[in-house]
Parts: sequence; C-alpha cells; structure tokens
Amino acid sequence: MLCEKCKIREANIKYTEVINGVKNEHNLCAQCAKEMDLGHYSAIFDGEFPLGKLLSALLGLEESSQKEDKLQQIMCPSCKTTYQEFVENSRFGCPDCYGVFDLLIGDKIKKLQGNGTHIGKKPKYQKIEALTREGEAGQPFAEPELSRDEQLEILKAKLQEAVLKEEYQLAARYRDEIRSLSQETQPENSTEGRSGE
Amino acid sequence: MNKWFEQRESGQPNVVSSRIRLARNWDKYRFPKSLTAQESEELVKRLEYGLKNLKELDGKEYEYAYLEELDELSRRALRERRILSSGIIEKKETVGLIVSRDESVSIILNGDDHIRIQVISPGLHLGELWKTADQMDDYINARFSYAFDAKYGYLTSFPTNVGTGMRASVVLHLPTLSMGKKFQSLVGDMSRFGITLRGVYGEGSENYGALYEVTNQKTLGSSEQEIINLVTQTANQLNHQEQQVRERALKNHRLEREDEAYKSYGVLKYARRLSAKDAMIFLSQMMTGVDDGIFTFRESCSIYRLMLGIQTANLQKLSHEPLSKEELDMARAAYIRNELPELC
Repeated sequence: MLCEKCKIREANIKYTEVINGVKNEHNLCAQCAKEMDLGHYSAIFDGEFPLGKLLSALLGLEESSQKEDKLQQIMCPSCKTTYQEFVENSRFGCPDCYGVFDLLIGDKIKKLQGNGTHIGKKPKYQKIEALTREGEAGQPFAEPELSRDEQLEILKAKLQEAVLKEEYQLAARYRDEIRSLSQETQPENSTEGRSGE
Repeated sequence: MNKWFEQRESGQPNVVSSRIRLARNWDKYRFPKSLTAQESEELVKRLEYGLKNLKELDGKEYEYAYLEELDELSRRALRERRILSSGIIEKKETVGLIVSRDESVSIILNGDDHIRIQVISPGLHLGELWKTADQMDDYINARFSYAFDAKYGYLTSFPTNVGTGMRASVVLHLPTLSMGKKFQSLVGDMSRFGITLRGVYGEGSENYGALYEVTNQKTLGSSEQEIINLVTQTANQLNHQEQQVRERALKNHRLEREDEAYKSYGVLKYARRLSAKDAMIFLSQMMTGVDDGIFTFRESCSIYRLMLGIQTANLQKLSHEPLSKEELDMARAAYIRNELPELC
C-alpha cells in the first residue's frame, strides 16, 4: 500500500486515532509520519539512523561516569565539536577532532574497527607540513643528540604531564612523536593505554 | 548511451554487480556537518571547478549538477540506482554531483564527507574497480590535499570509515541459499569475518528479489587489497554454495524448477498489474531460470536493469505525472511487458 500523503513511498506505519469515539485510520510512510504531528509518537520517527545511536553506545556512552563528565566538555578548537557531541552522533566535526580526542577514542576506534592503525594507501600528493599541527608552532621532534630511549623517556613524561593538565591536543602530539620514534625500534608498542586518566 | 546496468554480463551467474566507494576529505575545510551553508557552497564550487576536466582522466563524459537543482523524483531515482544514499537525499546544504554518462563512475561532493568516489560495474570485478577508483583518487588528490593521519589514515566524518575510507561491495542473487534454514545464522556469522551481508530490497528481515550485498565492515587496519580479497572470496564462496544447492535442486526437482521459472515469465509477460514486491519475486525466479539455463531470451536482457526499472521513483519519472498505487502497479506491469523479450 502506498502512503496516503505522498503517494510515492510504501506505507509502513498504520496510525489509528480515536477522537470522540470516531475512529480514523491512516497509512503513512516513515517520512510523512515524521512530518505530521503525531504528538509524542513523532519522536519515534525522528531518527532514521539508529546506527548512530548504536555506535554511541559502543563509542563511549556506556561508560559515562563522573570521571567522564569532565571529559565530555573537551572541545575541538577548530570546529567546536565537544567530546559529548561526538559520542552522541558518532561523528567528527573536522580532521583536527581526531588529534584532539585521540587519547579518548583511540581504544574505542580500535574496538570498533578491530585495529587501531592504518596500513593501506597513503596520499600520493601531500604537503609536508604534516607534523606541525595548527595553533602550536614549535619543535616537531625532540633533540637529536639524545639517544632514542632517552628521547622516549622525556616524551613519555611530557605526555603524562599534558594528560594531567588535560591538554589533550598537546598530549596527542607527544603520543604521535613517541609512536614514530618507537616504531623505528620496534613495530608495535603500548604507549597509548592512558586514555581518560 | 547505455548505463552500466544495461550491459549483460555473461559467464558469472548470480553475481549482479560490484562497487568500490572511497571517502575523502580536503584538509582545508572542516567536515560537512560543521560547515555553514555558505562554506558548503564554496567548498562544492571549488571542488567542482578543480574537477571540471575529469574527462581528461578516463575519456568518459561527465555531467555536473547540484542536488538542490533536482526535483524529488530525480533524487529518489538516483537513490534507487545507488548513486545517492538516503542520508544525503535530505541534505539542505549544497551537495555536488558528478556522474559519468553510463553512471559507472560518480563523485558526491559534500555528502557525509567532502568527496565520495564510487565506481560500479556488472559482475565481480573489484580489482579492476579499485584500479579505476585509485586513479580517480590520485587525480583528485593532485588538486586537493587530503585530511590524512599517519595513524588513522584517511580521516572521515564517521569513525566507521576511517583508515582506507573504502567500502567494497558485491551484489549477489541468492534465491535458493537464502531459503535455507541456516541462512540467517550465516548472515550473523559473516560479521565475525568482518563482512556484512544484507538484503538489498525490502525492510527488516524480509528481502524480496533475493539480492544480497556483501560489504567489508572494517576500514582501518587492512589494506585496500586485503579488503578486496576478503569481499571477493566471500562473494565467491557464497556464490559457490548457491550453485551447489541450485544444482541439487535442479537435479532432484527439475519439473518444479522449470515450472517456477516459466510461470514467473508468464506472469511477468502478461500481467496487467504488479506490486513492487510481486514483481521482484517473479523477476528473481525468472533470473534463477535464466542462470540455470532453463530458458534463454531471443534478445539479450539484463534482468537487473528491469529490477531497477520497476522501482517506484523510476516509474513515476517515466510517467511524467503522479501515479496512484493502482496506476503504479499498472505502469510496472506495462514496463515489464514492454521490456521483456520473447523466449527462444
């Protein structure tokens, strides 16, 4: 049966209203039902994509606690998306979000994707400014005179400090540096388990 | 010019089409959800300008359009032909469309991500499609630098696309396998291998037409080639199993199989009214008959093209005036009568 309102889509919602004992039946499609004012039932049709909500559960809401309340306020400086918004919509606002929320989402993305690190194609044509993220100019690498282990120690300390101060963007950068440094020595390590502390 | 789905593939029964989709973002702009209307327009115009000579890449003729210029029926028809997704159809901000004449290559600008490349073909050809998509990707990348991260790969609006930004999918016709009791549990098991198997037409657990789409679930941590291999192997495996049950059915119940195929042809060839669901079921049964060699058409005929043709928006579009449910069913039957060749 076609929707009685648009006459295009298949009607998959049967709406029965009884007003003063007079019964009326309507056959509508989800979209028209959403547009019509069906009182509090309208809410049912609001989200055509329950996927978003499903992901939300996986991405963070499940462990929402007092500790997380504070984290929810973290905001991406470039697009003003907060961590809470991200968790609710499962959607990033801009490329910088990945850096800003990295420590919070790293494990969750891993859970969602089964893996945390990209190994496919890389862009053929890319600017080489990659290491200096906007907003904070400065040394992309630690001093070259130090041994690799020493550099790693220093970076790890800096990372911990940044996390404690809740400077997540900075922390993410240290994390990246640690990774690129340690990747040269060994393929896989565990420097990323500090999310949310 | 023929559309990609009007070509009839030979030699690969049960495989309807393959598709590769890549999600990319230009690093100069925030993701579509954070853009103002003005920024959206600017982004789409700049991308479109940069890609105005796409023809030089592959010699194909491309059409350029904005979603807002299209009426609702045209948009819905594009969705039926899988150029647009249902989420994008509703979008208020500027969305750009670049579609090759045969609709085998399309680029959506400012949909969920800034750039969505899609290449599609009949049969199982993910490797070749990836080559095409890869070239297109490099061509676009030479003009627009991408949002890319060493750890996360290509950055996308949704964390479900991050990494390769790639979805590889194959549409299969599984009329007999899907009737089996074990099929539902098979669908569930697929996710353990990182594969999604879902019905193409119909809602919920109902699927009429027996078309199923095999897609990779994950985009991070596997290379493009690994994804293609996984989806191809899964599609081949499913097709192989379908073939086996079909051969068995044909051997043990030849008369029933022939009867079903001929009856479907008869109904499709002479019916005066057909609902979308009935038409899909009969087309599916006829497709089974043709693939099993029960009968052949006098002229070549892509049954998948008929399946696309009888969808509501396409029929509405052909008629040039709004059709009621009754009229739609009549138009559907007439469309099939007209398109269906005689039997040999």
